[in-house]
Amino acid sequence: MRRSLLGGIAFNLLAWTMVFIVAFPLVWMVITSVKPQFELFRIPPTFWPEQVTFEHYARLLFETPFLTYMRNSLLLSTTTTILVVAVATLGAHSLVRFRYRGREALAQLVLFTYLLPSVVLLLPLYLMMVWIGVANSLFSLVIAYTTFALPYALWLLRSFMQGIPEDLESAALVDGATRMEAFFDVILPQALPGIISTCLFTFILSWNEYLYALVLVNTDAVRPLTTGVMSMLVSAFNIEWSLLMAASVMMSIPLIIIFAFLQKFLTQGFGAGGVKG
Amino acid sequence: MAGQQGAAAGRGNPLDRKDALLGVMLIAPTVLIFCAVIVYPLVSALYLSLFRIFTPTLQGSFVGLDNYAELAASPEFWRSLLNTMIWTVLTLALQIGFGIAAALMLNQAMIFRSLARSLILFPYFVSTVVAVLVWRWLFNDLYGILNHAAMWAGILSMPLDWLGAMPNAMVSIVLVGAWKYFPFVVIAVLARLQSIPEPLYEAARIDGAGAWGRFTDVTLPQLREVLLVVVLLRAIWDFKEFDLIYLLTGGGPIIATQTLSLMVYKEAFGMNEMGRASAVAVAMMLVMLVFMLLYLRLNRRRDA
Repeated sequence: MRRSLLGGIAFNLLAWTMVFIVAFPLVWMVITSVKPQFELFRIPPTFWPEQVTFEHYARLLFETPFLTYMRNSLLLSTTTTILVVAVATLGAHSLVRFRYRGREALAQLVLFTYLLPSVVLLLPLYLMMVWIGVANSLFSLVIAYTTFALPYALWLLRSFMQGIPEDLESAALVDGATRMEAFFDVILPQALPGIISTCLFTFILSWNEYLYALVLVNTDAVRPLTTGVMSMLVSAFNIEWSLLMAASVMMSIPLIIIFAFLQKFLTQGFGAGGVKG
Repeated sequence: MAGQQGAAAGRGNPLDRKDALLGVMLIAPTVLIFCAVIVYPLVSALYLSLFRIFTPTLQGSFVGLDNYAELAASPEFWRSLLNTMIWTVLTLALQIGFGIAAALMLNQAMIFRSLARSLILFPYFVSTVVAVLVWRWLFNDLYGILNHAAMWAGILSMPLDWLGAMPNAMVSIVLVGAWKYFPFVVIAVLARLQSIPEPLYEAARIDGAGAWGRFTDVTLPQLREVLLVVVLLRAIWDFKEFDLIYLLTGGGPIIATQTLSLMVYKEAFGMNEMGRASAVAVAMMLVMLVFMLLYLRLNRRRDA
């Protein structure tokens, strides 16, 4: 399509204004986090900080339990991701490449649970954790996160693996490989981009989870970032917005890293799971 | 179909039967975990809804369908259901509208397009907690930039209470929901737009269709299928949304923005009525089941 120069400029202006409006809340978050506290209460507010300060970040790291929350979140999300993706890779391979009774029904069940609301499982899971005596631990959250992460990872990986040509595995089998050898030598390398993108999505999902963390865990020592940072909002006598914005920025760092370096995998994952799935 | 044929063949061929066993072994960990953390809790949610349970002690007594009868007679339940529907329909409509517009925009040549794409996608991936904190700061009645900007532009004459009054609170959560989730629509639609064959547009142009005509006659019909999927998925996810609403308004003022998810939480941990909370959760799932089954059917048709 050919556009005039003027039309092109007008379109770019309009488009970038829209992009800016969408991105503004996040820009404002970063700006607020480096403003000194007193500058927030300026009327009318200043846009650019008159004075850039990192005192809120320092306070966040050294005077609040933020680092404990961060450690908990990292531990929790990493454990969940490894566990779930390992189980789901084997499961998805089985769903795609083997024939046995009940396979189709199982695939349907996976999709059904993928859509199931957490709220329905929340109360039984809470009772279960109390009953087996692991309530209020990171382990209980790993179990709870499995309920949404495993169906999700399975569904995503199933879509990816359906895209791997069957001939590749057949060729390996003809060459005398066992099915497990073929899985490790042929399927896994082919599925690697899909596995990476599933890992990223599972990690983000666990990193951002709030409801289970709210109900299953209630001490600072085991709180992840989501509920931890919110508890800083509730417990503060007067809300320190710069501190909270600094916490929000810090909390988004893994996402920013993924966005900056691994966005290719996110887009792929969307193609397989979010859109098709 | 394929599964049945495979099973039939498996009975005849020992090698296939051995393979089927391996397949079952590979799926076994998944099935075990599913039974323990999904199927068992799901069944037990149904079971719990038949009891009256005091949350702090977890002592309960069987009451049959009393919880459901209480819900049916409770205006709060119907109000929450209505709120859930209002929230879902409004925020979904905005997500689809913004999503299609943004996707069409990002499908055109523009400078720094990949940066623009990243910026548009970011709200979807950011934690709801972060999104809510930022928006609550934007909405702040004394120092929030939104009130100041609107007053400076002459839209408002005095600061607006965005979250504490109606209908503002509903409008606010709908807007934040649209902001947070429209990128999902963008990604889905954009992927589809890029695969519409250019000759279709050429043909439409030769037939004398303008820009709007090409959109309604070529683009929209091509997007129909992907939009159906997106609408169903987002309807399911918006319907069950908890974090965003709970953290923005907590269901308030009073129960004006309380959805069913929030009611479950409130009944269980605010009112200490775990049995009745389970009944709300089950009722909510029954409503969602319509959409879920629709999606399952759609997906099976696409798979086949």
